Amino acid sequence: MRRRTFLATAAAAGAFTGLGGLRQAAHADRPFTFTSWGGALSDAEKAAFTDPFAALKGIEIVNASPTETAKIKAMVQAGAVEWDLVDVGGRTVWQGGEEGFLEPLDLAKIPNAGALEKGWVSPYGVATSTGATIMAWSTTAFPDGGPQSWAEFWDVKRFPGPRGLYKYFYYNYEAALLAAGVKREEVFPFTDEKAEMALGKIKELKPNVSVWWGAGAQPPQLLSTGELALSSAWSGRMLAAEAEGAPVGHTYKDGIAWANWWVIPKGSPNAALAHELLDFALAEEQQAKLLNLKTYGPVLGSATAGADDETRKVLVMAPDNIKDMLILNEEEANKYSRAYEEKWNQLMLG
Amino acid sequence: MARYRVETACLLAPAVLFLLLLFVVPLARLFSLAFTDEGGVFATFGVLAESEVYRRVMLNTFVVALAVTLITVLLAWPVAYALSRLKGFWFALALYGVLFPFWISVLVRTFSWMILLERNGPINRLLQGLGVTDQPLALLFNDTGVMIGMVHVLLPYAIMPLYAAMARVDRRLLLASDGLGAGLLDTFARVYFPLVLPGLLGGATFVFLLSLGFFITPALLGGANAITLSMLIASFVTDRLAWSLAAAGSLVLLLVVLALLAVAARLLPLDKGMFAR
Repeated sequence: MRRRTFLATAAAAGAFTGLGGLRQAAHADRPFTFTSWGGALSDAEKAAFTDPFAALKGIEIVNASPTETAKIKAMVQAGAVEWDLVDVGGRTVWQGGEEGFLEPLDLAKIPNAGALEKGWVSPYGVATSTGATIMAWSTTAFPDGGPQSWAEFWDVKRFPGPRGLYKYFYYNYEAALLAAGVKREEVFPFTDEKAEMALGKIKELKPNVSVWWGAGAQPPQLLSTGELALSSAWSGRMLAAEAEGAPVGHTYKDGIAWANWWVIPKGSPNAALAHELLDFALAEEQQAKLLNLKTYGPVLGSATAGADDETRKVLVMAPDNIKDMLILNEEEANKYSRAYEEKWNQLMLG
Repeated sequence: MARYRVETACLLAPAVLFLLLLFVVPLARLFSLAFTDEGGVFATFGVLAESEVYRRVMLNTFVVALAVTLITVLLAWPVAYALSRLKGFWFALALYGVLFPFWISVLVRTFSWMILLERNGPINRLLQGLGVTDQPLALLFNDTGVMIGMVHVLLPYAIMPLYAAMARVDRRLLLASDGLGAGLLDTFARVYFPLVLPGLLGGATFVFLLSLGFFITPALLGGANAITLSMLIASFVTDRLAWSLAAAGSLVLLLVVLALLAVAARLLPLDKGMFAR
């Protein structure tokens, strides 16, 4: 999109904002719309949550992608909410709470949320599935296996080759601190001292980082073609690529576990139904359906019980995996992302 | 006279109204966002002025745009000259050669470059096979990749005005210069080049202005370390959700472009190049 197209789009969005008097009436003349990230996650959510719910209620559900925080904000400001339930990164849950473009959740209508770990429930969003940012590598570059810790990922002598990291401070703050030897339980809360330490550590590795990826599809693709030798990556994308026979490997060791959060844009005409679907997705039966898909795992601990040994290997919440992982604190991540945005960009340009 | 004016006004009205409603008003609204920051009317401009990142991205954007313009013009010159000398079938073939890529989506062409420029892609394998390098070159996700992609997309914008100017050159003037005793270089520098200059400047201005606002190509072929202004503005919109800042950034870019254009229009015979007569 060239600048002019972007301007026109942004401007059109702005123009609609002004038409307060013409706000859409609070009824839906479109099907219930669920929007997520695409790829392995959208496939899993469709199979485990939205298709069964549509069949149960006898309604049509549109599964859209990709999700975008700015779009939610624009829709809410324009009073034309096209999405009823949206899968977002954790940061959006807190951004949305502060900026007021998310519907506050009525937890009384989501009784199943009570069975979740406390960290997975917030006033503006609830986690419905889990994944992780993990280390992945090209099996062509490392036939005997890749790094098993972020410290090894940083070790360019033992694991030579071009690296990929996420393009924001997100995930990199955690990875860098773990690489620097900070204990998992001491990564949060973030402090200026820790953030500076993380930036320094990333600066050290930067000459060996050739791609700062932004889309989940990039790491498996770039590792397959040999553009990268090793990279951070989203677990579900790697599992999906490996299932297709791509020459890539991964480990959950030292991974950064996170959740896929569901939120309701403020003013959705289907907010009641969205609450219902959220509750439905958290039921043990639906959560257990994620097990067969072997990409993104359940957020409900008890749903992992029925998994066989093979499946348990790919579940973030399986005790054998989570014991070696750090759980991302989204609220803190939102804070350091904002506080260090300028410094992060300076580092990228430097 | 009066009737003539009314007719002109009526003929122009639909286009003016269309532009006003669908372009000028939304644009004004967008720019008005720049003054709505909680910190004060001009707070966003203060943030931009204090941001080292913004200054460096601005500089990088101009450097890349200048480099792209220079390379594009140098590459366009021989192509345009060949076009102006070809006739019949070969002219048609060459013209389609220039125009055909123009009809393929920028997105598709940019993705094609990603495949070509990969570490293990055809270009790197060729270079290594020929012994030019022994290590794959980093052609992707940096300014090199961005420039290769942008030059390719923008070449026709430079070739066409240049070709138009070259095709208009009266060959008899060159013969006359020759007849008057000027050497090849003299004829080129004192007759041919000045005649082609407006086309060259028109093409170069076009390419430079388009480069400044390019988004898809830098976003895909560049990286977090090769940010252009359009990418920074997009990140203000999508990640930081700071729309007033994005609007201020866009406004500054527009003003800089307008200022440059005003200076260029005074110094250079742009009108002759842009609208070939």
